[in-house]
Amino acid sequence: MKLQRRTLLRGMFQGSVAVMGVPFLDCFLDSKGQALAATGQRIPTRFSTFFFGLGLTTSLWVPKKAGLDYDTTVQLKPLEPFKKKMNVFSGMRVMVDDNPNFQHWSGNAAIATGIAPTKNSQFDSKTIDQTIADVISRGTRYKTVQAAASGDPKHCYSSLGGANTLPAEPTPLSLYTRLFGPGFQDPSSGDWKPDPQVMLQQSVLSTVSDERKDFMKDLGAGDRARMDQYFTSVREAELQMAAELKRPDVIAKVAIPGNPGEMPVNYALPNVRTVTPLMAKLGALAMATDQTRVFNLAISEPGSNIFVPGDPLGYHITTHMEAIDTALGYQPKVAEYNIYSMEILASVLKEMDAIQEGDGTLLDHSLLMAYSDQSYAKIHAVDGIPIMLAGNASGRMKTGYHIAGGGNPVSRVGLTVQKAMGIAIDNWGKGSMETRSAYTELLA
Amino acid sequence: MFLRSFFLGSAVAAAFVAALVQPAAAAPWTRGFVVREYGFAFRYGGREGRPETAPAADCARGSAVHFDNENEMRKALSRQKWRSKQEIDYIVAPPGIEQARLPTYVRFYVWGRAVSYRGWRKGIETYINPFAADDPGQPQVVSKISDGFDLDGDQKTGGFSSPDGVRGVDNALYRAWGCDAPFRNPASGTLDLRENTQMQEGLYTVVIRLSGNQNPMNDNDATVEIGYSPDKIVRDARANVASDYSYRIVKSEQYTKLKAKIKNGVVETEQVDRLHVPRIGWFPDQMGDADFHKGRLGLKIDSDGRAASGFVGGYRNWLDLLSENTFAQTGAEQGIRDHEDAVALYYALKRNADGLPDPKTGRNTAISMAYRIKAVPAHVVDPAMPAQVRRLKEDEARVKGFEMVKAAMIKAVTTKIVQPVPLGTGEGQFPAMENTIADLPSKEFFLKNLDAPGRLDEKGNVLPLAPAPTPERQVNNTTATTIASQSAP
Amino acid sequence: MRSKVILAIAALLSCAICGDLAAWAAGSTQVVGLRRLSEQEYRNSIADIFGKDISVQGMFEPQIRISGLLATSTSVLSVTPVGFEAFSKMADGIALQVTDEKHRGELVSCTPKSATAADEACASEFLGHYGLLLFRRPLTASELKARMDLARSMTKSSGDFYTGLRYGLAQLLQSPNFLFRKEVAMRKGGTLALEPYSRATRLSYLMWDTTPDSELLQSAQSGELNTVAGLEKQVNRLLASPRLESGMRAFFTDMLALDTFDTVSKDALIYPKWGGAMPPSAKEETLRTVINLTLRENGDVRDMMTTRKTFLNRSMAALYDVDFTFDDDWMAHEFPKESGRSGIVTQVSMLSMFSHPGQSSPTKRGVALMDIFLCEPTPTPPANVDFSAINDTTGPLKTVRERLMAHANTPTCASCHNHSDPIGLSLEGFDTIGGRRLTENGQLIDLSASLQGKKFQDGTGLGQYLRDNPRFPACMARKLYAYAKAVDTEEVEPSVFKAAYKSFTDSGFRLRALIKGLALSPEFFTASPHVQEVSAGQTKLASSP
Repeated sequence: MKLQRRTLLRGMFQGSVAVMGVPFLDCFLDSKGQALAATGQRIPTRFSTFFFGLGLTTSLWVPKKAGLDYDTTVQLKPLEPFKKKMNVFSGMRVMVDDNPNFQHWSGNAAIATGIAPTKNSQFDSKTIDQTIADVISRGTRYKTVQAAASGDPKHCYSSLGGANTLPAEPTPLSLYTRLFGPGFQDPSSGDWKPDPQVMLQQSVLSTVSDERKDFMKDLGAGDRARMDQYFTSVREAELQMAAELKRPDVIAKVAIPGNPGEMPVNYALPNVRTVTPLMAKLGALAMATDQTRVFNLAISEPGSNIFVPGDPLGYHITTHMEAIDTALGYQPKVAEYNIYSMEILASVLKEMDAIQEGDGTLLDHSLLMAYSDQSYAKIHAVDGIPIMLAGNASGRMKTGYHIAGGGNPVSRVGLTVQKAMGIAIDNWGKGSMETRSAYTELLA
Repeated sequence: MFLRSFFLGSAVAAAFVAALVQPAAAAPWTRGFVVREYGFAFRYGGREGRPETAPAADCARGSAVHFDNENEMRKALSRQKWRSKQEIDYIVAPPGIEQARLPTYVRFYVWGRAVSYRGWRKGIETYINPFAADDPGQPQVVSKISDGFDLDGDQKTGGFSSPDGVRGVDNALYRAWGCDAPFRNPASGTLDLRENTQMQEGLYTVVIRLSGNQNPMNDNDATVEIGYSPDKIVRDARANVASDYSYRIVKSEQYTKLKAKIKNGVVETEQVDRLHVPRIGWFPDQMGDADFHKGRLGLKIDSDGRAASGFVGGYRNWLDLLSENTFAQTGAEQGIRDHEDAVALYYALKRNADGLPDPKTGRNTAISMAYRIKAVPAHVVDPAMPAQVRRLKEDEARVKGFEMVKAAMIKAVTTKIVQPVPLGTGEGQFPAMENTIADLPSKEFFLKNLDAPGRLDEKGNVLPLAPAPTPERQVNNTTATTIASQSAP
Repeated sequence: MRSKVILAIAALLSCAICGDLAAWAAGSTQVVGLRRLSEQEYRNSIADIFGKDISVQGMFEPQIRISGLLATSTSVLSVTPVGFEAFSKMADGIALQVTDEKHRGELVSCTPKSATAADEACASEFLGHYGLLLFRRPLTASELKARMDLARSMTKSSGDFYTGLRYGLAQLLQSPNFLFRKEVAMRKGGTLALEPYSRATRLSYLMWDTTPDSELLQSAQSGELNTVAGLEKQVNRLLASPRLESGMRAFFTDMLALDTFDTVSKDALIYPKWGGAMPPSAKEETLRTVINLTLRENGDVRDMMTTRKTFLNRSMAALYDVDFTFDDDWMAHEFPKESGRSGIVTQVSMLSMFSHPGQSSPTKRGVALMDIFLCEPTPTPPANVDFSAINDTTGPLKTVRERLMAHANTPTCASCHNHSDPIGLSLEGFDTIGGRRLTENGQLIDLSASLQGKKFQDGTGLGQYLRDNPRFPACMARKLYAYAKAVDTEEVEPSVFKAAYKSFTDSGFRLRALIKGLALSPEFFTASPHVQEVSAGQTKLASSP
């Protein structure tokens, strides 16, 4: 097929932009000297988030001992197989300053942005996964991929800021189709070739980008910001296409499974238990084949409506309505729901750890941040929200620790995460949560 | 009208609620049900959770195990004196079977073909001509308790008592057939489960409507209607049959409407000379009316009206029953897969038949029996237009095949003239066996020695056997042991 | 028939910039609204422009409810990368279908001189025609040129004329000018008045939930729409059309929060009956009820609180435990008086949406209905409330009412609960899937309620209370105004819909009168000079028990 010169130039130009990020990443990986696949290809470090609603029960999950070799508590028990590969953070604070404590929002928004939100259901900045993706995802087909295991595309806490969140894939089938449906080429396949359609699409997108100046005319400030986001999205699509023209660097040693088919995806716990590892597996394969380097998975909204069949109230309402058992000192049913969250997290880590690449597993070449919206959901408390980091980020993160936060802001975790992911950043967060001190003792 | 609860003592409140739940007395009322479980009233004598094969009070040695293993096969084949030892050895374990691509199918079809030909001489397909085979024997129910009705009003006949203590229950079908593996124990019998599953998945729908002028739980002038519905059964989120959906009731010439009395929720209908109710079945060709002689229906309605269970029964033509069951698939398939021997059932039914004697021969043409019913509440409505039973166009060929085979069997057993297998019907596993053993090293032996309902030309077209077998008669065959000795020509 | 439409539109193209539009081009204008198309608006627009044969496949970004309306979020939300990727794929899919061999005969009005080479006249006709329909205004000369250039280069590189059209059209379909409804106003004295194409667009999406038809575009082009008589003529035309039902379905779906059904889960162990066709059917029942009452019967809108007339399919008949007739997929049904049903507040949709998976919730119901029907949102509860008394069924308090009262009597809780609970408590005669019940844990349920000095009993009493409450029609007028302009319901000043409300009351609360009053009121097409900023979620429905 003959292509017009302008089209080709644009395509090449954008291709080069896409490649530019790679040398940087290469240096970073080379410096560790270990992240090389068996094939000799460099293995990128990936970032994931795992969101679970309604926290844990403090008396049942916080280890008594801090540091290495901490005691495994009742609610951390499901994560025991991964104890050496993860860090847990207790006692971290969300400082809302003069802002309201938006129930089931301020906590998770603060962890994701370092900023106490000024508006309910909105983020005051880009979320941490997007900041990281800006740096590490250049050249991949998708900057980030997100999935929602109880079937609602709104269950995604990844945002470029404001009220918009990135819609999540609400079923394993839709996630599969997006990742491995039309447009996917297995990078390990011998006849990989760029799709000429992509180049044509690129030139269409460039004319859409050209509309920017005219369209912005006469817009108020709020609408300008919205259209900035729109044109950023157009730009992302252009970059995505550029990436599709280039064979991914990583040679996957994984088999792409068949189409998972339709299945019930909703709040019923048995379904969440089935769907989550399936989605995690697809996300892990997407990272292993370098379709993306950032995968966000939420098993519910904050204030989770997950329910065990037979429980008329479900998780969220139970946290409010169940009495504290005076003998036990906690809400027994809630404590069970808490454990389900951890079991489901373990099922996600298991999928990531099952993929071998280079000298380790996909989990070893990842950093996964698991977090929640509340610490003690019954009273919508945010101080001490559980946060866990799994994977050692290709050796950049030391693992096996329990960090007793002692009232430090949650933003310290976010800053540490970004440093481990190689983001050039010195301080993060706003107000009382602005911090310059990462947990350097965890950084290798 | 509404009263504040604090005005009411709890007893008053309960009465108030009860008054709201139960419709007022002496007003026209209607109650509908959709049947969620429908099957032979074969009372399982074992404990819950035990399999259909286990010995229990109903079947002292457990269920029948026809063709269940190599020993059983050898037993069945040894009755045909014309088979050589090599032939029996080859059939039981086809040489080279491990080299075939589909060994289980090879065995299934070879065994199936072999058991389809158990006549007193070679060449008689004995599912169509069961009279020409030796009676392999069928274990009988030995329990004294049975579900069903005292159909002849004689407490001395029947030989069963109901669980509620009614004496003289006539359910000879249970005695004859109740130890048959696929129909014993509703929790595990394969065909009982299968027909209920198919019904729930939409093969057919049976509805019941009760109406009266007094009270749904007590009415001495009530009416019971039962029939097919053209509307598929709806299942709920737990896959059970959902309650409260509407269903139309098919009204055909044979539409069934019975007078009934209801006492404390127990519904007893009149007994009628001819009662038409839907048959049980798991294939479209089994659909149709079951015609009961001296038929009646009994139901027990739960006090809240949310469930009904009971029986419908009478005397049914036993050849109808046999063919509806045997030719649902093929005699061989029922035999090898479900361990049921239709030849054994033929003799068992014939022995136990207890109703409608043929005026000429005096032999009973019908057998006492009942279907069990479990139902959930539904809205049974009259269709604006006469409704039909669901039947798909693509099922027509199958229905035609079934009718052909059934007609051949009835002709055979009434005339005692051996009938050929109607070609194109699949009975006798033809040419399924020939196709399946193509890669069996010993296939030539089977092609040469096993009987077949037809032959194949070089292109694989089905041709009739030539010449057609000459009509011949067989001696009367009523017991299992006498025949074998006189079978050699 | 389509070719006639094309001819009519061709006439518009000849006057791409004229009349009031010139002022817009000259720069004395301001963008006063920028609304992302909703999924239904997008689908309806594509179906109207290209025909129902063209399929639209892909995921749309979710909307969020702001002060009770999803529509309001259309002026807050943007397009995320994932959302744009979906729009981009949809655009290509649509453009491919429109220009394929099956459809081009009908949808491409001209025939190129050669199928393998560029044809400026035909490409211009095609892109100009669909540009007008998609952008809801004529393309400027430079806008048209940009697409022509793209189409030409694509034709050249592919050697196929229709490939050029395909990519030109795909470009129009992912342009912000299509994906966003840009509302442009011109300064006239101290106020900003909407230019005619923006008027046509606002009217059309409000009343028909779709893109303006050629007649409406024509009246914008001729300036007729900016005259009192011309506007009234078009408003009457739109009101008289059966397509008004689509528009009002969209409004009621939004106002009644019926979109919530897409994610309602019920506990199959406790309520196995729920499932299958029931959730979409429950939504449809309510829509059919309100459309029938307000448009087909031209009834008093307030009667939606008391009517016992409804429409049921087989699933809903099972849920309500009544006979279904099988004459059609849906049947008209009137509940008997003793059914306890009264209007849409006692329909399965409203009762089940605002409940827990396995248990009804007077608070959820109360909070939702107060907000939906009376525009009285309830503040979110304080963070550290102890709700455990509500769930203790082992104690002496058997019914939800008793347990709720024990909790609500604490001073911090009382003010809000006294506000919202009475509505919910009067509906306790219906379980979480909307089935009727008389007792709870063996105790007869007390269905009495007292609200704002009025006492009533059960769902029937509630329906009558709401029907007689003047806040209900006022709230509906406010919501329709906010919906039409995508502004925050709570920030709407009563003065701006005063005229509309007067025609509403004068007509005996007929919906058409309200819409007409709104569309003809001077405030409807004006904006205050500063751009309103809507904040998301400040007052979203309280989600706690």
